[in-house]
Amino acid sequence: MPVFAGERLCSIDDCIAGVGTYSRHGYILASLAGYVLKKNEGEELPVISVVRETEAQLLPDVGAIVTCKVTSINPRFAKVHILYVGSTPLKDKFRGTIRKEDVRATEKDKVEIYKSFRPGDIVLAKVISLGDVQSNYLLTTAENELGVVVAHSEAGAQMVPISWCEMQCPRTHAKEFRKVARVQPEYLQA
Amino acid sequence: MPVDNKRVCGPEESQSPWLFLQQTRGQPTWVPQTRESERRADSRRRRGQVDARPMFARCGLVSQAKGSAYIEAGNTKLICSVYGPRETERKDELDMRAGRLVCAFRLAPFSCAKRCPWIQGSQEKDLTLSLQESLQPGVCLHRYPRSQIEVNVLVLENDGSALAHAITCASLALADAGIEMYDLVIGCSLRQDGAAYLLDPTCCEETGDESTENQGSLTVALLPALNQISGLLSTGEMKEATMVGAIRVCVEGCQRLYPAAQQCLLKSVRRKVHARSTDVDVGR
Repeated sequence: MPVFAGERLCSIDDCIAGVGTYSRHGYILASLAGYVLKKNEGEELPVISVVRETEAQLLPDVGAIVTCKVTSINPRFAKVHILYVGSTPLKDKFRGTIRKEDVRATEKDKVEIYKSFRPGDIVLAKVISLGDVQSNYLLTTAENELGVVVAHSEAGAQMVPISWCEMQCPRTHAKEFRKVARVQPEYLQA
Repeated sequence: MPVDNKRVCGPEESQSPWLFLQQTRGQPTWVPQTRESERRADSRRRRGQVDARPMFARCGLVSQAKGSAYIEAGNTKLICSVYGPRETERKDELDMRAGRLVCAFRLAPFSCAKRCPWIQGSQEKDLTLSLQESLQPGVCLHRYPRSQIEVNVLVLENDGSALAHAITCASLALADAGIEMYDLVIGCSLRQDGAAYLLDPTCCEETGDESTENQGSLTVALLPALNQISGLLSTGEMKEATMVGAIRVCVEGCQRLYPAAQQCLLKSVRRKVHARSTDVDVGR
């Protein structure tokens, strides 16, 4: 059933407000123009939500896993462009920062950014904070599953990961240092 | 001192030519009267209208924008496109907790009787501020921290009450873009001339004589489902009782325009479903 923004859906005693709705004056009203979805989640009341056909515009939230591309590096931090939140692509790029102390979980002070990331690498990271007035989103790769997933060597070929801190170029067989992500085997594609 | 001989100097003392004109009520003779406007002007004179012009609204026509809407009311035509949420360019303290609405109201150079320059004049900046003020209470900005939503309204033909229709158009475009809103914002304007008032005035009805007292124009932006007024812009001098009455008439006008806006939005939602093959469950 299509609804418009501001339409009264039901009273607050009948359902719980879900995505795309809000409650006011004891009623649940839609906040999106879309279709109403009522689901029984197993709690006492069904959850009512409004969905639109296009993907919901996701914003990077604290704790979300994001896919980003490194744009510039600096001995203290790496600047990235956030491209995907989870598996939904973003229409506009958001900027993020990975600080030196957030690259690894162990030996945080001995990290060298030049040996962990290079401009152009695709990195899986997690959002730790939305940042304050001056900074961008703060990201971390201090977990085994986070880090560089795709990187190109200086010769231009896509490198193959050897260990958690090294990747090798298949053309020149040169090894380069990166903070590599341990991707689960079922997600690896040939 | 070099004197410019080519310029014709005007007299030192000058007076407004309006003082010497005969008192005509509300009908400036320089506007060419088409048959329709004459018919409407006649019916206006006879009835003292509280009916707004019938509105045509359509969503989703600008393919590059996130959401868009087009409104036609009489001869007034406007188009609005919404982009966002995007990362904010400037960072203030307030951006961190909630998003920001950046509005731009433009009159196309060919929209008015006299050609407007492309550079934004002070009138456009004023109307932009009013537009932003009216739309802000309707949008759930706290759901979009650190982002900005851009709303661009372009008036293609200005035949009166441009701001009121711009507010309606912008809120339809925001809803079409999937931005979460508390409610649609509907705008309505009124022209008060002495004891008579006209709802949703056309361009020639908007200009009256300055000599009558208790005259002015009023634009009201309303959130109909929550019954809250989000914007009020008034020019001219009106008595208090007249102003209160005028606001009430405008609010009723907004309520009457609400179903048209709802229908337009529902049509666009249905059209999107037919356009894409969806895997979303559609159900009650």
